[in-house]
Amino acid sequence: MRTKVVPTIVLYDYLIVPIQIELDDATIEKLQMQLLNEISERKIRGIIIDVSMVDVIDSYISFVLSETAGMAKAMGCYTVICKIQPQVALTLAQMGIKLKDIYTTNTLEGAIDILNQLD
Amino acid sequence: MYDKSFNDIDINVHDYDIFLKIKDENDIAVSRQMAKSFAQKNDFSLADVTKIATVISELSRNIYRYAKEGYIYIKKKETEPDKDILIEIIAYDRGPGIENVERAIAGGYTTSERSLGLGLSGIRRLMDSFYIKSEVGKGTVVVAEKRRRKF
Repeated sequence: MRTKVVPTIVLYDYLIVPIQIELDDATIEKLQMQLLNEISERKIRGIIIDVSMVDVIDSYISFVLSETAGMAKAMGCYTVICKIQPQVALTLAQMGIKLKDIYTTNTLEGAIDILNQLD
Repeated sequence: MYDKSFNDIDINVHDYDIFLKIKDENDIAVSRQMAKSFAQKNDFSLADVTKIATVISELSRNIYRYAKEGYIYIKKKETEPDKDILIEIIAYDRGPGIENVERAIAGGYTTSERSLGLGLSGIRRLMDSFYIKSEVGKGTVVVAEKRRRKF
């Protein structure tokens, strides 16, 4: 197994990704590659990215997250982002950033519900 | 030290609380962290701390991506006579400059392949004041301010 930037948890055929590190440009790019590899190697059908610990999501991080979700979709895998902090949501909305190809929920349970419905 | 004919803003390093040189991809995260701590230390609300950190992140990336090298200046200002507390941010570089500034700040336009084109327009929306001056072949200066809100 390759070295991971973020430790992940497999639950059924879903991949839970709790981001508990600072997302700089190099890290988010490595994370993109890691997730695509995990989808392919472990037959993942849904990714849940928990961003409750992420303090800043700027336009580039948003871009890479949406891009990753688009790539995952092409591999038959849906992406849900859960627990965006209120001040991060406020900043994203005020900047006019839309997270394309991404479902959002406020809880981990909600994320699993969405993925179950999509299957 | 600076080209005054281009830069009509007189930047004196000593007036600023934070002075950062951006020349490395890691500097984006470093400047973001420093801006965040500075806004927290000055009792800005959590929402505004996040906005300031996001703005610095966008400005630093623009410098790194388009100009390769540049500077970020941050200071606390107190306005007279109302005694409002402000954080002023200046991003300065001597990079290639922006060809069409109006189009760049309108949002949704980018010359980079991997970008949403919402950096500059986002900064303008997140801050209380925004000024940009850019000249092709000379560089870019962005000045933005955020006022501390009284609750």
